[in-house]
Amino acid sequence: MKTEQYDAIVVGAGHNGLATGCYLAKSGLKVLIVERNDYIGGAAVSRELYSGWTYSNCSYVCSLLRPEVVRDLDLARHGLQVIPYESGATFMSNGDHFAYYSDHDALRREIARHSKKDVDAYDRYSKFVTKQCRFIKPLLLRTPPDPVRFRPRDIQELLYLGKRFHDLGARDMADTLRFYTMSVGEFLDEFFESEVIKAHLAGSGIIGTGLGVYSPGTAYVLLHHYMGEVDGSIGAWGFTRGGMGGVSKALGKAFEASGGTIKAGSALDRFLIKNGKVEGVVLENGDTYTANTVVSNMDVRRTFLNHVEDGELPGDFVKAVKRFKIRGSSGKINIALDGAPTFNNIPGTANFLRGDLHASESLDELERAYDAWKEGRWSEDPYFDMLIPTHVDPTMTPPGKHMMTLFIQYAPYELANGESWDGPNRDAFADTVIDKIARYSPDFKDLILHKEVRTPWDIEREVGLTEGNIFQGELTFDQLLFNRPVPGYADYRSPIRGLYLCGSSAHPGGGVMAAPGANAAREVLSDLGRKGFGRAA
Amino acid sequence: MTQYDAIVIGAGHNGLAAAATLAGAGKKVVVLEKNGDPGGMAANSTVAPGYECPAMAHLLSNLDGAEIASLGLERHGFAYAATDLPTISLSSDGKHIVSDAKGVRYADGGALAGEAEFLTLRARLIRFADQLAALKRKPPPSLSGIDWREAASLGKLALGLRRMGKEDMREFLRVLLSNSYDTILDEIDDGPLAGAFALDSVLGGHVGPRSPGTVLTLMYRLANGGAKHQPRGGMGAVMRAFEKSAKSAGAEIRYGAAVERMVLSGDRVTGVVLADGTEISGARVLSSLDPKTTMVLAGVGNFDAEMIRRARHIRTKGCTAKVNLALSAAPVFTGLSDDLHRGRILHAPSLAVMEKAFNLAKYGELPTSPILEVTIPSLADPGLVDGDGHVLSAVVQYVPYSLKQGWADDSRNALGDVVVDCLDQFAPGLKAAVTARQVLSPADIEAQTGAPGGHWHHGEMIADQMLMLRPAPGIERYALPVEGLYLCGASTHPGGDVTGIPGCNAAKAALQVKLGRAAA
Repeated sequence: MKTEQYDAIVVGAGHNGLATGCYLAKSGLKVLIVERNDYIGGAAVSRELYSGWTYSNCSYVCSLLRPEVVRDLDLARHGLQVIPYESGATFMSNGDHFAYYSDHDALRREIARHSKKDVDAYDRYSKFVTKQCRFIKPLLLRTPPDPVRFRPRDIQELLYLGKRFHDLGARDMADTLRFYTMSVGEFLDEFFESEVIKAHLAGSGIIGTGLGVYSPGTAYVLLHHYMGEVDGSIGAWGFTRGGMGGVSKALGKAFEASGGTIKAGSALDRFLIKNGKVEGVVLENGDTYTANTVVSNMDVRRTFLNHVEDGELPGDFVKAVKRFKIRGSSGKINIALDGAPTFNNIPGTANFLRGDLHASESLDELERAYDAWKEGRWSEDPYFDMLIPTHVDPTMTPPGKHMMTLFIQYAPYELANGESWDGPNRDAFADTVIDKIARYSPDFKDLILHKEVRTPWDIEREVGLTEGNIFQGELTFDQLLFNRPVPGYADYRSPIRGLYLCGSSAHPGGGVMAAPGANAAREVLSDLGRKGFGRAA
Repeated sequence: MTQYDAIVIGAGHNGLAAAATLAGAGKKVVVLEKNGDPGGMAANSTVAPGYECPAMAHLLSNLDGAEIASLGLERHGFAYAATDLPTISLSSDGKHIVSDAKGVRYADGGALAGEAEFLTLRARLIRFADQLAALKRKPPPSLSGIDWREAASLGKLALGLRRMGKEDMREFLRVLLSNSYDTILDEIDDGPLAGAFALDSVLGGHVGPRSPGTVLTLMYRLANGGAKHQPRGGMGAVMRAFEKSAKSAGAEIRYGAAVERMVLSGDRVTGVVLADGTEISGARVLSSLDPKTTMVLAGVGNFDAEMIRRARHIRTKGCTAKVNLALSAAPVFTGLSDDLHRGRILHAPSLAVMEKAFNLAKYGELPTSPILEVTIPSLADPGLVDGDGHVLSAVVQYVPYSLKQGWADDSRNALGDVVVDCLDQFAPGLKAAVTARQVLSPADIEAQTGAPGGHWHHGEMIADQMLMLRPAPGIERYALPVEGLYLCGASTHPGGDVTGIPGCNAAKAALQVKLGRAAA
């Protein structure tokens, strides 16, 4: 058992924890990051579970990572490289497909194949979504105001929000209000007539959530997936070279370059708290590290319900934390392939095979997939987001071989009748998905060399995300902005002095964005009276 | 040809309230109704000779004292047959739950676990609803510049919220756009009590308890403490009172007068033409029809493309049907006292069952286990029936407008059977006592009332279609872009239910505007 002293300790080396660590270390603090797993990255990891194949085990594509953070922390110099992918497609059961090209003219021609009317609708749609992205982006790296307290910074921040909103003008204000409260299905219904086009676009509105395409509020979730950028191109997505672990690796290097210390394989037992103030952490192995500032990268439920002793927190706060909805709704399958799978009626050279592939062709089909989840079943006809990053990044497999990553919506955390995910259910879940893909790709099954199946249980166990929810909490309005994660505590602080949250449970939420991490660091530094690195509040 | 100051299209409660308000301000008003009776969705229907039943709406909850007084409804024959009805939530294990202003308990008087939590939640939501009610009688807050007269009502709301204290204010901002499923189940277990409470958040709409935004709808229904009252003489009698109120204020009402189109002169409406060719001229036209129908009557060419697009996008997926029964004898629900039979009897066994029922409706299928709000109005109001029989009025939630197999007699019968069979389980012998049955699908409701999709509120009551977004941005303040043309129906702020408030608000908005000289 040893005891060491630091200026600040970050618990959890997910991308947000690492980002917070970087900012704090850069400002000159002596910072320690403790991580339960033997590797850093949380859900942004690259691991070799089959010899020669690197998987992006959980998180698999990159877009949301704030460019400000990339610049502040000089992540490119530390090895981060994001390769944009060009397009995507939705396979249809009639043998046709809808290809989503990033080339505007090609996309217009493709849309026209499905609906002439939707060609212009797409331009209107794309303009609208871009406008909403522009509106929301500056809010991501700001601390939400508390509309109930009237401290100067709350009033200032409320005025800022009010002004940004007002500047939209009456028409756009109304559109924005509607957009934030409506469902992605109804939103798309207003633009498009082609079911397959709607279905292709709607996926972004449900990924990672316990909501269906017709649940109000999902239009915002769509935005949450669109507001990123790759190389300044709004809404673009890309692969991190070497898998998503590349993001964590670059952050880790930046952190160590600033003098920070990472202790992997160091699971937290509890926070040390005395008289309502945090004094450090105690690990499961008994090691104790002291610091007056401790930042938790774990989700809000895990942080306060598992690692803070009863009685240290006000009852109302505990109730609010318990009430915070973190719902497991997704699964993940990573597959090592002996070669590139071919798809019915599509030439292997088609560039859209390098992007995100789907096989859900109507909003009703997506909504039914959600109905199954509500009843504690995985969708029998699931939505999946399927990518073969090795088309673009051959470093992940031996030459000529491929890796496929599949994100599957929906998979409930609690199966009906209290059944276990471990054992036959996990296999049956994987078979459902693989059988569906095989309907579109005749050689797919034969190419499978190895697969890693991750149910919500597996994600929770390994990454520590409650229920395996990728956003550390549902992105519904009652859990966004000043309501996230607990009303009154949206400023990354907690009832325990010196204990902060920097994970996706905090504003602005999940995705490999590093915004909560950067924001939390700014608040910590301001409490310490230090000049913050990066943006001012 | 008579020149009217205002023409009101439709003699539903909102049309009549608008007419009464306009006539009361000294305007010369005519109301044109295509049917032979007033009421629209709030009318009576004869299930069988001698059996009068509320055709669609059957209970009042949001009709405020203020409207009752200002329209003089009591003077014109309006009265309640029963007030503050207890709500009974049926349970298949026979442990029915009763809730009323006093509290909740089992129908046999036994105490209920979770009572305290439930009452705290209900009281909190009622407090929130009272704050929102401050916005009801004014046009919704404007997004384009602040009118200082309105700023007062917003200021009042802000002050009211502030007075609730920090904790309540935080909670208000959290649950405002939340769903009733989580909000209720965070406090109590799923079951008939949860179902009964949540029913108000979805009744009449195309939403399930899990749909975000349903708490806002619930608060709308809780604006008067959530109490439900049964009017004497059925909803038809309420409408007669509205009608008399309009008439006594000096409005003229013509039945059997279907408006075929409006007459415009430049950008201004100058009158209407009836189906029989009669032309009626008026300086203002107030339509209690939905925006789409209204715009078609005015000629879509008179609206810009964006306005038309917005009107087209108003969601009006009707999801509620009505089954009215004539019974040879009063039904006897097992486990309910005589008094409770006069209450509001619900079949909403749990939120899970309700959400599942919504699933079927989403895909155009008939319910298998219907979600019901039932009253037996003839118990408290024997005048509805000649003789010893009774009428039973059942609102059936989650019946799709776009039924896969289409609405015809066999699907209507199938729906009627499902409802009667369900009730017969709880009131054995009910099925045998049915002497006549009337089934109104959402499509029938549309045909009879003109409400698009048969939607009870002329437009979904969910956050993106409420307040300044109701019925659509740009027309939220009752006036359409054609001069002198206004909306005054349930599609406008504050929305559905028998309140008369949209009608009164629209009339006031119309009175505020000075018309161009030529029209005056």
